[in-house]
Parts: sequence; C-alpha cells; structure tokens
Amino acid sequence: MLFRMIRGALFRQRGKMLLIAFTIALGASLATSMINVMLDVGDKVNQELKTYGANITVKPKDSTLLSDIYDVEDDGSAAISTSWLREDEVGKLKTIFWAFNIVDFAPFTESAVTLPSGAEVTAVGTWFNHHLDLPTGESLDAGVTGLRSWWDMTEGAWIDEQAAGSDHDVLVGSLVAQREGLKAGDTLTLRGPAGEQTVKVAGVYDAGGDEDEQIYAPLDLVQALSDTDGKIASIEVSALTTPDNDLARRAAQNPKALSTRDYETWYCTAYVSAICYQISEVITNSVASAVRQVAESEGAILDKTQLLMILITALSLVGSALGISNLVTASVMERSQEIGLLKAIGAHDRAITGVVMAEILLTALVGGVAGYFVGFGFAQLIGHSVFSSSIEMKPMVIPLVAVLITAVTVAGSMPAIRMVLRLDPAEVLHGSKA
Amino acid sequence: MFLRMITASLLRRRSRMLVALLSIGIGATILSGLVTIYYDVPRQMGAQFRNYGANMILLPSGGEKLTTGEAQEALGAIPADQLVGATPYRYVTAQMTRSQLSFMAAGTDFTQVQATSPYFMVEGAYPSGSREVLLGEEVAQTIGAKLGSVVEISYKPDAASADAATPITPGAALAGSAEGFNTNLVYVTLTLDDEMKIASLTVNADTQTPEYGGRAAEETYTRQFIGKSLPVRLGEDVDALSGATITSDAVVQAVNSARPTANAAAASGNTLSLRVVGILDTGGKEESYIFLSMSDMAALTGAEDELDVMELSVSASGAELEGYVSEIAEKHSGITPRLVKRVTRSEGAVLSKLQALVFLVTAVVLLLTMICVSTTMMAVVTERRKEIGLRKALGASDSSIRAEFLGEGLMLGGLGGALGAALGFVFAQVVSVHVFESSITFQPLLLPVTILVSMIVAAVSCLLPIKHAVAIDPALVLKGE
Repeated sequence: MLFRMIRGALFRQRGKMLLIAFTIALGASLATSMINVMLDVGDKVNQELKTYGANITVKPKDSTLLSDIYDVEDDGSAAISTSWLREDEVGKLKTIFWAFNIVDFAPFTESAVTLPSGAEVTAVGTWFNHHLDLPTGESLDAGVTGLRSWWDMTEGAWIDEQAAGSDHDVLVGSLVAQREGLKAGDTLTLRGPAGEQTVKVAGVYDAGGDEDEQIYAPLDLVQALSDTDGKIASIEVSALTTPDNDLARRAAQNPKALSTRDYETWYCTAYVSAICYQISEVITNSVASAVRQVAESEGAILDKTQLLMILITALSLVGSALGISNLVTASVMERSQEIGLLKAIGAHDRAITGVVMAEILLTALVGGVAGYFVGFGFAQLIGHSVFSSSIEMKPMVIPLVAVLITAVTVAGSMPAIRMVLRLDPAEVLHGSKA
Repeated sequence: MFLRMITASLLRRRSRMLVALLSIGIGATILSGLVTIYYDVPRQMGAQFRNYGANMILLPSGGEKLTTGEAQEALGAIPADQLVGATPYRYVTAQMTRSQLSFMAAGTDFTQVQATSPYFMVEGAYPSGSREVLLGEEVAQTIGAKLGSVVEISYKPDAASADAATPITPGAALAGSAEGFNTNLVYVTLTLDDEMKIASLTVNADTQTPEYGGRAAEETYTRQFIGKSLPVRLGEDVDALSGATITSDAVVQAVNSARPTANAAAASGNTLSLRVVGILDTGGKEESYIFLSMSDMAALTGAEDELDVMELSVSASGAELEGYVSEIAEKHSGITPRLVKRVTRSEGAVLSKLQALVFLVTAVVLLLTMICVSTTMMAVVTERRKEIGLRKALGASDSSIRAEFLGEGLMLGGLGGALGAALGFVFAQVVSVHVFESSITFQPLLLPVTILVSMIVAAVSCLLPIKHAVAIDPALVLKGE
C-alpha cells in the first residue's frame, strides 16, 4: 500500500519530482566535485612545485674537509673514499620508507677541464634521463632533465642517455658557448686532470644563473676525465613533502630526542626532515639536508592552496545545502492540500510523514547518484584542464556526499511537514491558508 | 499601483518569498565571494611565491662596482608597492686570522635580507649592531665557532682588481693573488729591480695545507724566483713544490698577474674582530659564506659604497618583470638587470595553474548555484498557478500578469543580489584573512554586476513557469488539474 502510494505520487507529480531530483543532483555534483578536487589539490600543486627543482641535497659527511684530504691523495686512497658518495648506491633512494614520494634525483660530480682554447671551465657530470632497474622490480628514468626544467635549450636538445652513441654528448652553458664560439653539433676535446675526451656538443642551454659558465656531461665521461670512477660528489633529490610543523622542526634538531611515539609519527610522515633522515640511513656516510629556499616556500604555498580550497568547498557545500533544503521545503508546502486531505480521511501524522519522507528520500537517492557521477565528471574536467592529469577518485567521498544529501533533505523537509500537519485540515482544504 | 501590488504580494506571502530571497541571496553570495577571491588570488599567491627569494638581480655593467645611489635610482622603475625587498651585496674573500682559512664574506643590509630571502633560517639573531656577524653553518662548523664567540677576519685587496692602468715600471712594488688549492687565495708581494727582474718575493700561503702548499711561503722556495724576469714559467724558470702543484701554479700565476700597489696600507689589509650573533642554515651555498653589515664591510675593505650585486624581490608577473628589465637596461647604462630564471619561470608556471584552478572551480560552482537558484524560483512561481488563473479569469491580460511576476522577480533578484554582494565580500574577507593573513581589496564594480546577474537569473527563472501558467485555460488551473 505504502509502496503504491509512493509510486503513485512519484509518477503523478513527475514534473515536480524531476525538478527536486535535478536540484539535488546539482547539489550532489557540486559537493562531489569540490570535495574530490579539495582532497587532491595538495598532491597536484605539489607536483607543479617540482618545477623549482630539488628540495634535498645529499653530500658526503665530511665534504667541508675535502681540501685537507685531497692533498694527501698520494698517501693512499682509503682516506679519500670517505669524502665521496658511491654511485652504485644512488638507486637505494627508492628503497626508503617514503620512496614513493621521491619524484626525481640525479648524482653530480665536478671536474675542472681545459677547452682547446686553453680556457678552464667546470664540467659537471650527471644523469640526464638515466634508466634504473630497481631491486624492487620497478624501473624509472631519473636525471636533471626533470630537475632543471627552467633551462632554455637555445640550441640542440637535452641529451637522451638511452639513445645509442650519446655517451660522448655534452651540453654547454650559454656563456661558455658564446665565449668559445661553440654550436650544437661541434666536436671538441676536453682535457681533464686524468685524461682527454673528444665530445660532441648536443645542445646549448641558458639557465639564467651560474650554470651558464659550466658544461654538463654524462656522469661516466666526467668520472673518466677526473679518474673518479664510481664516485659522486652530491645527489640532488626532488621529493613530495608535507609542510613542516612543530614536530618536524623539533625532529630536525635531533630525532633521537623525541619520544618513541612522536618519533614514529615523524618518521612515518613525509616531512622533509624525515625524508632527509631516511636518505642518510641508506646512503653510506652521507648527510641529506633540505634546500630551505625550495622546501620552505613549497610548504607555505601548499598550505595556502589547501586552505583556500577548503574554504571554497565549505562555501559551495553550504550553498548547495541551502539550495536543496529550500526547494524541498517549498515542495512540501505546496502539497499542503494533499496532506490535509490525507489527514481529513483519517491518516495518522506518522503515516503521512512516512509517505512524504519516503517519496522525497527516494527522489534524493536518484538525484544523489546521478549528481555523484556528474560531479565526478566536473572534477575530472578541472583536473585535466588545469593539471593535465585526472583527479583521483576517493571512495570516502561517497559516504560523505550521501550523509550530506540525506541530512540536508531531511532537515529541509521535516520542519515543513510538521508545520503542514499542525494546520487544520478543513482550512487547508478550503484553501485559505498557506 | 504596480509597485504596491508587487510589494503587497511579497509581504503577504512572507515565508515563501523568504525562501526565494534566501536562495537568490546564496547564489549572489557565492558569485561575489568567489569572483572577489578569483581576482585577488594572483596578488595574494604572488606574495606567497616571494618566499622563493630574489627574482631579479642588478649587476654592474663591465668590471665596475655599483654604488647604492645608482642602484636606488634604477629601482625607481619598479612601483614601490610591487617591490618586496632590495638587498645590496658586496662580496670579498676574507680570511680568518686564527684558522688561516679563506671564506667568502658578504656585506649586506640585514633588514632587506629578511624581505628578499625569507627562507634563511637563523639560529640566534640577525646582526643588528656594528661588529656583529652571521656565519654560514658550514663556516661555523669548519672553524668551530658558536653563538657568542668572537672571530677575527682580515681582508687583503685583490691586487688584480687594483688600478690596472698603472704601468709596471722598474723598481715598482707589486702585489698579486691567485686561486690556489680549493679556490683559496695565495697572496704574493714582490719588488722589481732596475732591470725589471724580481728583487724580492714574499708569499702568503696561509690558506693552503701547511705541510704541502704552505711550504711555498718558505724562503727556500721563494729564492728561486729572485733574478727572474716576468712572466715566470713554472718548470722552466722555477720548480714546483713536490706534492703541491696547485699551490706552486697559483704562486706563479699570482706573480705574473701582480700589479703595482697603489698604497701600502691597502695591500696589507684590515682586520676586524666580530661577534657571532647568528648561524645561518639554508641548505644552499650561503652556508659557506660569512655575512656582515655594509658598514663593517666598508671598514674591512676600506672602500665605501661599493656593491657587487643588488638582489630584488618583485611581486609582479613574468611580462611585467621583463618590462622592468628592459626599462632599467635602457635608462641606466651602468647597470645590467637580469631575471633569476629559475624563480621567475617556475613561479609563472605554478601561478598560472593555480589561477586556472580557482577560475574553473569558480565557474563550476557558479553554474551549479545559478541553476539551483532558478529551480527554486521556478518552484516558487509554479506554486502560484492558481493565482494566475484567478487573475486571468478576472480579466487581466497576459502581458500585465507577466509584467507583474517579472517585476516581482526583479525585485527579489535586486534585494537578494545586494544582500549576497555584501555577504560575499564578508566571505572573501574571511577567506583572505584566514588563508593569506591580509585583507582583500573591495571591487566596486562587483556590486552592480552581482545585483544585475541576480536580477537576470531571477527574472529568467520566473518567466518559464509563468509562460506555462498563462498558456493554460484559467478554468482548468482554478479547478486544480
């Protein structure tokens, strides 16, 4: 009986019910899209901020004493090895707890080289898009191509390490190229402390900084020039991090001073200091430190963007909630005659409330489901047009939106139903009130 | 009469109209609030991006130095409200008298440093008085200095940069320097005899490793230079020190590049005792620098008002920055402005994404809210079909009914719009204060636009149901079918 009544009401008042379903769908889609975007905006903006380059540098523990050790090189190599990092350990970066957050990295080594003209420049050996097969079974390409995204290649292109014959390609800084008259495609001989190498200029870059006075070459080439096979001077790491808070700052001073519980919280959160700590654990004899210029600013911008999105989401949620409850209230008031009639023929208040609520909630269900999918589409639209990647579908959004829509619908209809029920059926039917 | 009918109808049906007004108000609030935020986001976010530090530098053209006056004059090209900070830097290589190690010393203005490089993390405090110094963490570790300890630094002018025009004449006293091991400087002073041959040579190799390069200062090594004419060739005229080829090479280079000393005092250099008030942690190259105030720097070098570079932090878009660069380059021939590409490029990329995000979010929210508002309006008007039928039965023309409802809609729209515009501004203000800790600028144009849009949305959403109601036979409507 109840079922027939509800079905009857839904079909008879198809137009009105459609309007309610439509409004609820709009509200639900707004809520879905905004919550989805809000939950994902941190990750997305974090990815964008990676254009600022590395936020962690890894150096040998006693790099400042390099000078003293260098002079005693003749005495034996045991003392020297401590002031370098090992190239074969670079892949270990991807084995730390927060390995997934490490976006890109590159090892560096430097050597003074002499050009054919007699001028001395610094040659920086590094990875460009080095292919790594990790013990975990993953494989990835890492290198400076991603870490120096602001460089302008005025001539030629980035070195593709995976292409055959690229092991003798170099990139030349714009100032060096200008002074020496070098162009892409030229060949020249570099003389280093431990040998000579004939190289081809693959490209000329304009970095707008000190790097314009340098030459960037594959790591193996510079290692051969300076006889430092397998040794690297530093590693730059670009990692997705969580903005620092008090705990992170205390931990950065001395992680050992934390209580066990704080230590675990800190270790298992992607704070830049925690990631640095974990890197130092896996790379022998290293100190990883945050590049404050990048790390601090990233934190500030991330915080602000997230807060902004939360507030905008709150506003749109309040807006859609009021919109829905408004309409539901209006639609209940409109049906005062019908309710009056039900009352006149002896229906209980509870039965009437049940029927009306069931109708509205059923409508809300249809509208909510439709709205969820439409809203998800909106979220993807925003993701693709702004960040060129899809917004992750978070399952927690579904119950959130469901609860929201139910609460709003009930809150919008209950007071109205109560009010209508309080009226005298005779008056309502006569049409003089409401 | 018309106005009275509308106001009467609005007042009589108070609760229903309140619903409509509320829904229009919400729509207008969202409209004005989000649009205000959208316009303010680039400015506010731009200020956040200034955390990345300087995005433009002023360099002297050629090998000259800048003066503060010249730099300040060039700053005139940039509006004061866009200039976050302008920090002068004077770089010299200074030596710690106790440890004999050389470090890069930077003279600067610490209040400006805090504006242009907000990411500097200082343990202790920035120097505020004279004879105070901020040490990079690496420097502090190397020399073992702590907060409160006193360091003594000395500076010997780089002879190569002294007046190169002074010709080298017989009997002249010369001074020179060159980078030795680990880019630490080796200093030499020498005198020539009447035949332009070296008469005496003193080498200061304190910066080198004592038992290797340090031996270059010993008389047993320097005496082989006596009687040789410039330029001296290593391996032919003189032998290298065993185990310290780099230092030997530096001594020869310093001798060959030596220039007449303008005055003896400048050559011997000045020494300052400075108290360590702060230790700097940046994770970058600044950690190996020593920072002191401009006046201390002047006392150290004996040269007033000389700058190597001026770092600027300007809150402006990429195109504006390019404009300032070309303007300064054109007007001030002594200054070469350059953009710090790493900062400007990345800022442009991220900022445009953020703006696009807020734009799209605003567009989606607005679209959905407006539809929401019009469905509510439709429901409210549809409800009044009976009233329309009655009017029609009493002989009212279609157009007069339409006009009345439209007027009602417009009035609701206007009221709701005004209410929403005010609430929206309050919302934007709350967001701005909470997120960016600064107040928002009021967009005067937004007030009429919000009201207008609300009126249009209200009117359009009234029209549709009225059209339906008017088209139907009044008898049917009144009967309630």
